[in-house]
Amino acid sequence: MSQVLHDIEKKIIDSLQKKSDQTPEQLSESTELSIDQVRRGIEWLRLKEFAKVNESSKVTISLGKNGVDSFKNGLPERKLMDLIKDGSKSFEQVRETLSGAGFNAAIANAKKNGWVKIEKTDSGSSISTKEKPVETPEEKLISLIGDKSISEEQIENKLALKFLLQRPDYVIQNTEKLKIVSLTEKALQIDTAQSDTGAIDVEANAALVYAARTHPLKDTIDEIREIFVKLGFSEIQGTLTQSSFWNFDALFTPQDHPARELQDTFYIENQKSEKHATPTQIKQVSKSHSQNWHYDWKLSESQKMVLRTHTTCATIKYLAEQKPDDARIFSLGRVFRNEKVSYKHLVEFNQIEGIVIGNNTTLRDLMGIQKEFYKQLGLTKIKFWPTFFPYTEPSLQTMVYNEKLGKWIELFGMGIFRPEVTKPLGIDKPVLAWGGGIERIAMLKYELDDVREFYNNNLNWLRTV
Amino acid sequence: MPVVELNLNRIKKLVSGNITKKKIIDALPFLGLDIESQEGDEIRIEYSPNRPDYSTDFGIALGLQGLLGIKKGIQKFNIKKTGKYEINVDSSVSKIRPFVTGIVAKNGSIDDQTIKQLMNMQEDLHFGIGRKRKKSSIGLHDLDKILVPLTYTTTTRDKSFIPLNEIKEKTISNILTETDVGQNYGWVLGDSKNVPIIVDSEGNTVSFPPIINAALTTVSTKTKNILVEVTSIEKDAAEDMLSVVSSILQMAGFQISELKISGGKNSTPQLKERTIIYDPKLTSEILGIEISPSNMVTCLKKCRLDATIKGKKIICIIPRYRFDIFGPMDLVEEIALGYGIENLEPKLSPSTTIGKKSNVTTKTSLITKTAVGLGLLEVLNSSLTSKKILYELTKRDSSQMISVLDSKSQEHTILRDSLLSGLLENLSKNIHETYPQKLFETGVVFAKEKPIRESINLAVVIAHKDTNFSEIKSILQSILRTQFKIDCETKPSSESQELFVKGRYADIYVNNKKIGEIGEICNEILDNFRIRTSVVGFEINLSGLIFD
Repeated sequence: MSQVLHDIEKKIIDSLQKKSDQTPEQLSESTELSIDQVRRGIEWLRLKEFAKVNESSKVTISLGKNGVDSFKNGLPERKLMDLIKDGSKSFEQVRETLSGAGFNAAIANAKKNGWVKIEKTDSGSSISTKEKPVETPEEKLISLIGDKSISEEQIENKLALKFLLQRPDYVIQNTEKLKIVSLTEKALQIDTAQSDTGAIDVEANAALVYAARTHPLKDTIDEIREIFVKLGFSEIQGTLTQSSFWNFDALFTPQDHPARELQDTFYIENQKSEKHATPTQIKQVSKSHSQNWHYDWKLSESQKMVLRTHTTCATIKYLAEQKPDDARIFSLGRVFRNEKVSYKHLVEFNQIEGIVIGNNTTLRDLMGIQKEFYKQLGLTKIKFWPTFFPYTEPSLQTMVYNEKLGKWIELFGMGIFRPEVTKPLGIDKPVLAWGGGIERIAMLKYELDDVREFYNNNLNWLRTV
Repeated sequence: MPVVELNLNRIKKLVSGNITKKKIIDALPFLGLDIESQEGDEIRIEYSPNRPDYSTDFGIALGLQGLLGIKKGIQKFNIKKTGKYEINVDSSVSKIRPFVTGIVAKNGSIDDQTIKQLMNMQEDLHFGIGRKRKKSSIGLHDLDKILVPLTYTTTTRDKSFIPLNEIKEKTISNILTETDVGQNYGWVLGDSKNVPIIVDSEGNTVSFPPIINAALTTVSTKTKNILVEVTSIEKDAAEDMLSVVSSILQMAGFQISELKISGGKNSTPQLKERTIIYDPKLTSEILGIEISPSNMVTCLKKCRLDATIKGKKIICIIPRYRFDIFGPMDLVEEIALGYGIENLEPKLSPSTTIGKKSNVTTKTSLITKTAVGLGLLEVLNSSLTSKKILYELTKRDSSQMISVLDSKSQEHTILRDSLLSGLLENLSKNIHETYPQKLFETGVVFAKEKPIRESINLAVVIAHKDTNFSEIKSILQSILRTQFKIDCETKPSSESQELFVKGRYADIYVNNKKIGEIGEICNEILDNFRIRTSVVGFEINLSGLIFD
């Protein structure tokens, strides 16, 4: 079995093959890897079932503050014996040297060991050597521990330990969790020298990086634009701010129509369009309104500046200015509605609109273009229903069947510009128009049910969608 | 779009003939009606505002009868001339609401469902063609509670009567201030001292148009005979509305009788049909189908119009309530509906033109490509934003702010003059996402000139703890050099900018023309956006640089 091993893994295996049951710290020492590398390596080996980790706990003993002092200078009772080895001393003399609690402990332990005798005199108690003080088990234990930390199991004289534990701050008992690493059967067989050097673990997870990319909605816009171009349509640009004249009046929307009210349309504060149309255009449009809608058309209303409510204002303006005989053009961009923002409504969204003027301009031709458009988008189950738009007649809407939702969804609208729209602007031929909102199509594509997601700019979504 | 509620059993009965519910549901979209929802036999339908005759199930049944071939041609108005009913108009109304018209509908019977439908019709007529009652408004009254002749006149605001749905008298002033309808529609009357009123021959108030009827004439399930009055500021608008109501009441089983109107510029409504001469050639020109004139006549009749062939033309008769029909092009649509939209075969003709993207699109997408190549992620923000993001949090100069009127959304009130603020807002919303964050946007910005100048900008921000001026300048240089071979210079700015760190921002020049600004965003602004890392950015004007 050829097994790809990382250098770290190899070093650990080598070390464990020589000496089993090591702690990570021991492995770090024997392999000269950092403790982090060792820990990582152990984890990899464990996942590959090459290493086992047994966890156990171990009690260790080390010296406390008083223990360290005794290790250097002897236990208090030893100090006492040194002090009186040349003759008896008074308590006061002894206390001076063995200050505080050390004095009491020294007297008590020396007495218990049978090393001293105490005599009471008029001037107080005096203390002198009774017996030669031999090394006690506790002293032996302190020497054994020294400045290390040793396992409790290594201590033979448990009684001495018990005594020392009873004395304050001489020894410290520590419970350590221990990880003992050993190799599994199959790892014992590995010959690390033969394992392929330079190879890496190709199955290991790599870090996630995020590609820079265009906005998903922009991708859909581009895709739709490409289809329009393929179908022979050329793009024109239009401004987002428009006079009411081109947004409404030229499109036969009467000046008292509800759609023109503040609550549906964004009007721009203190902005009036001065030269929005030619005198003939103004005259003819005014006449068309007065004759057909029976009211007094006002120039001032048509001068109010709005944020365009559709891209149609760009196409109608183009037609009025260029009066082409044979053309397929389209206009794409943001449009605005003064609506409450919700999961299905935005105040600002993208719309595309194409028009055809010239030959082959029957409703059936328009339906054919629609059908081809949806086919290019991968939508083949479509049907047409009649609908109403103020500036086209006849008007249709396309219904597209969505397999996932299991229902028909309304997409683009289409129609032929009303003569009341085209005649006043000097356009004699029928003009076919079609188009609609792009976000709806993008929502289907990205399976979103909240249109706001496109403009939230949530990086998590943008990076992963 | 206005909505009407239908009960399938009821509509089936109204349509008569041997028609299944399924057939009715399938046919509705082909009348131009959208089914909004369906629960059992109750369906909600959206209809187009140009067809107020679809505001009741009676009108929809009329349309269905035609489309399904049960009854075709015009539903004729048989207006009985009795000479009994009359409204006299006092000249005092001429300055407030000069026109009144009306009709009498007799010997019908109405149930709760019919009352509901008539109420819906009234609401939609008021909202749509009535322009929120300003242009025209309608009142339905129990004829048997009224002593004719009526007078349409004016009265002072202290006049009192018992309004609809109340039991006590109220003055007109109180009606206008205390009731919902008064508060909603009082504005129509402005502050004129006198207001319009319709009284009967005994002086009883019948209606206070366009606000409310009197309780006296309330229409209920016991009502057998109805008087309809429409008041208006425009004569044709009044008759439009009346024609819809009359045809619906006739469909509901009432006998329509004349109501004489005289005084001022008023006259008795004729509700006459119109004639449009149609050239059959238009059908093939517009629809692209070849059908015979007699077939076209059938199609028109299925749409409840009348038509006859005369020589090479078709004489088409349009009932008064179809004021949505302006001319021959509208008849093309009627023929298409009668023919059946589902029977129109889409036809793909080859294009004689070659499509092309605009220069702006082509050039902007080159910029986008380079930006992505440099590791920048594209974001999209609204061009309508808030004062807070655009000016307050960024401490930018707001003297040239462009506002829109009456926005329904606080976050969308100002047209942006810069993209950078939006990008900082984007960083602010993503402080929990992995850094580095490198974003860009291209989009329209607006300048307050006459007229408003629109141009396309590019802005870039980079956010991570080690970013600095050099990093963003590298990006700037690279974007302009790749594809466009443009060299730019950055020079210390002459104006002080609170957005950037002092001494670490510059103006961007190309051929000695300033095209934008670049710099390290200052801590105070970052705090405002709660961004806890370093941010650098630039914004340049692409219009005039890579396209016109």
